[in-house]
Amino acid sequence: MSDAPLLSLGESTAEAVERALQNVYPGAARVGAVVAGHGAEQAGEQAVHGLAVPAVCAEVSYVDGVTGGNVFLLPVDGARRLAATMGVEGAAAAGEGAELSEIELSAVGEAMNQMMSAAALATSGVLGQEVEIAPPQIRVVTTEAEAAEVLRASAAPHVLTVNFTVADVSARLIQLVPNAFVVRMDRALESQTTEYTTAPLGAALRAVPVRVWAELGRARMPAGTSLDLPTGSVVELDREVEDPVDLYVDGLHFATGRLRVAEDGSLQLEVEEVVGLGGADTAVPELAPPPPPALADEPEAAEEIPQAEPESPTETKEV
Amino acid sequence: MARVLVVDDAAFMRKMVSDVLLGGGHEVVGEAGDGVEAVERYLELRPEVTTLDITMPEKDGLSALREIIELDPTARVVMCSALGQESKVLESIKLGAKDFVVKPFQADRVLGAVEKALA
Repeated sequence: MSDAPLLSLGESTAEAVERALQNVYPGAARVGAVVAGHGAEQAGEQAVHGLAVPAVCAEVSYVDGVTGGNVFLLPVDGARRLAATMGVEGAAAAGEGAELSEIELSAVGEAMNQMMSAAALATSGVLGQEVEIAPPQIRVVTTEAEAAEVLRASAAPHVLTVNFTVADVSARLIQLVPNAFVVRMDRALESQTTEYTTAPLGAALRAVPVRVWAELGRARMPAGTSLDLPTGSVVELDREVEDPVDLYVDGLHFATGRLRVAEDGSLQLEVEEVVGLGGADTAVPELAPPPPPALADEPEAAEEIPQAEPESPTETKEV
Repeated sequence: MARVLVVDDAAFMRKMVSDVLLGGGHEVVGEAGDGVEAVERYLELRPEVTTLDITMPEKDGLSALREIIELDPTARVVMCSALGQESKVLESIKLGAKDFVVKPFQADRVLGAVEKALA
């Protein structure tokens, strides 16, 4: 399996965490690329290698039947400065290496909770479905081995690591990714990027009813924004009013045309250009994008992005 | 000025919210660290306004909100949630919360939400 979908997930999560971190500690920044590893045991050890200890370890697990989550490791000296920035009185006064007070730990835990919530939102966006998280577990780890044990216990098959600089110390975000996410992500990514340019119909298939829909336009937005769209809000699509409308046949971008209104008021599409008859010998795509919801087997204008739902009855890909 | 119950699993956040409320002339009559405690303290203290975190151990903020509204349909509850729990916030407004504040928050946003809940 390619690491590309995993790294894409890691990137979007790292971006979200960086923004949330800068909200509580201006100047915090992500450092370097996301690194993917496989197998909680080995990858977990690599993921914590070189980390300064003792460090605050914030772990947020996914709920909803999947194992995995995000772990953020922040060395205590950075944690103390972060707590001071957040307004914990006297936090900066304690010497380097001193133990964190309960309120300092709570402040850092809250910062991490906000980061992890942002991470979960980003993950929801990539997967195309909401990801639920449990309250954060905050503890202080005193050795690398102890941090590695947290990761090992997750038994996550994929481990993504990326570094941050927070309050002059090097911190680390470790994403523990369950297989279920990789499967969903493959589907979501595929349906976003695949443009089918061939007509896969053979003679034996000509009698099979297919779903046909017209697409007026598309938009992208954060999952949270879409959930909060009030009635009466306006979503800007990527098309002008004069632009042709795309016709899809069973996931195949088949033709473009113009919308018309029939005498009885129903919408029609007048095909202007058939684009899908290129090389007809190419294989049928394994995962065709599903049609818009509540679509009968007849042409219909769809205002939504037909590929918006990653759920597909087709078989699960091997990962 | 209102009598307020502050609910959050992070002691730090309870302190932050309490400081803001005190600064705005309100009285913090109690605090709770999870949803179970929130319902208990609500019944015991009958605050005019309750601030409620969403992601909490034992019982989350939404379940606590549902119970509080069931027990007292006139309860004024302001949700406090981190970004990323926004859909939950939407759900909580449907359940009867008066407003929501997204963390990290500004002091006047918290005070504004409490004023709004009292109105």
